[in-house]
Amino acid sequence: MNYTMEELLAAALAHTIADGEVGFTGLATGKAAAAYNTNIPLLGMGLAKRTHAPNLTVLLCGWSHNPDLSQLKAMPECEFANELLNLPCEAQMQDYPGTWAYKAGDIDFAFGTGVQVDREGNLNCTCIGDPAHPKVQLVGPIFLPEHFAVFGREYIMMPHHERRNFVGRVDHISGVGYPGGTEGRRRLGLPGGGPKYIFTPRCIFAFDGAGSLYVKSIHPGVTPQELEENTGFDLGDLSGVPATAEPTAEELRILREEVDPNGILRL
Amino acid sequence: MAERTSKLCSLRQAADLIRDGDRVAFGGFAIYQKPMALVHEIIRAGKKGLTVVGSVNSVDVDMLAGAGCVRTVETSYVGLEKFGLAMNYRRAVQDGTVAAVHYPEILAWDRFRADAEGLEFWPAAYLGGSDIVNLNPAIRRFENPMNGKPMYAIPAAAPDVAVVHVPAADIYGNVRIQPRHLLPQSMDIAVSRATRNVIVTAERIIPTAEIREDPHLNVIPAFRVRAVVHAPYGSHPTPVLSVMRMDDAFFREYAEASATPGRFGAFLDRYVRGVDGHEGYLDAVGRARLDALEEGTGGGK
Repeated sequence: MNYTMEELLAAALAHTIADGEVGFTGLATGKAAAAYNTNIPLLGMGLAKRTHAPNLTVLLCGWSHNPDLSQLKAMPECEFANELLNLPCEAQMQDYPGTWAYKAGDIDFAFGTGVQVDREGNLNCTCIGDPAHPKVQLVGPIFLPEHFAVFGREYIMMPHHERRNFVGRVDHISGVGYPGGTEGRRRLGLPGGGPKYIFTPRCIFAFDGAGSLYVKSIHPGVTPQELEENTGFDLGDLSGVPATAEPTAEELRILREEVDPNGILRL
Repeated sequence: MAERTSKLCSLRQAADLIRDGDRVAFGGFAIYQKPMALVHEIIRAGKKGLTVVGSVNSVDVDMLAGAGCVRTVETSYVGLEKFGLAMNYRRAVQDGTVAAVHYPEILAWDRFRADAEGLEFWPAAYLGGSDIVNLNPAIRRFENPMNGKPMYAIPAAAPDVAVVHVPAADIYGNVRIQPRHLLPQSMDIAVSRATRNVIVTAERIIPTAEIREDPHLNVIPAFRVRAVVHAPYGSHPTPVLSVMRMDDAFFREYAEASATPGRFGAFLDRYVRGVDGHEGYLDAVGRARLDALEEGTGGGK
């Protein structure tokens, strides 16, 4: 069957979403970042909504509730421009504090990306090198500290799966994963669920009930050896790891005809 | 009868309300509705050692970093979104001339709420394990007196001055925003409530009689405002929602110029330092080009 990497990951994402949840996604720009942080989330949430989760709330850019993407001819590149202001939706968060209160647990899941992730699920989007004298200063932590600490679960979306991205220890803990496992999170007083999955172009990682990282599935066409060569920490025994389930014909039809009829989420 | 005091002044008079070393908060959000005319004037006035305190910043901080006006930046993000990285800021942090103090996005916003409520800090329960806390001695850990769990005190933003760019204001400082607004305008409200030392730059100066017609749109009341400046296109190249679009081409020119200090210096000379105030800036950008950015009902300057 012919499908894209975005469709493979969108279908896998959809299977992890429960009915009635509230999902938050930003508006990333740049091809790779947009694919992983915006397009796959919107495709996956759209598929879930049309299959088993009709009561899902999609928060586009965090402020547009259940927007009607079929009205768009292209994905907007600006989160606060008139084209999104005028896009039909169910509610708009005009002010902070507003329609949702993340500190009170309103956000069930969200998506985040960075340049480094480690085995504990810590994510770095702030700097490379010693934070006191950074070798490379990046954009800053943005909303990720809140995503990782308070939201129900976080999907870490990594458009690149290379050794420099999957490291032994991140240079700056911008989003906190599982230092000391789920017990470690509890001791830190973090109320949210933390990272639950990592989606990459090579595999899907998950964190088990103790907060330990494991490879959940390897994408069709990717070998365990390739995965090990491109990951900067030990992956353990990969012999029993299944292949990532391919999207069904019906899932592909829904994605292409109903979720994204104008093809604005395809690259 | 005693006469009410007009706060209308020049951009330079407004900029001179900011002292070297002040803590300055800019309204707007990311690359939206930033008070750039006043940022430019801060550069022309040669201000030094500023601390910029914000939630999500962009060309405001980057330009001040490139011009050597800023010493410390307390925020969650400095970048140009779809136009790329904030290269002046990046260089300044990497060479140590600017100190980056990282705050999470919404807690950075809450710091202004603390000021608005007269509080020294805003509480958060969820920063444990983060380098946000590990590397910032200004954030203090305390015990939640209700349940004994760890909490963190995030210091109030404590701006000495806040600067916002808005669609319209009267000469006394009553500010009218768009009939429909979004989070960048909400940030204007947040920073303006954190101090009573607010500088307003406005696309239009309107009569107080007009202000009184729609009081529900006037989210910044006169008593908070110290100075009002008429600055048409005063957010350029960032947009004013429903009034003026983003100038994408100018942003790209900015991003390219900021690739090296030398090219950025030439950019500043051409548009900011080497021109006669805001009018000179508008001439350098081009009036016809600015007219073409207008949208909606907010024109007619």
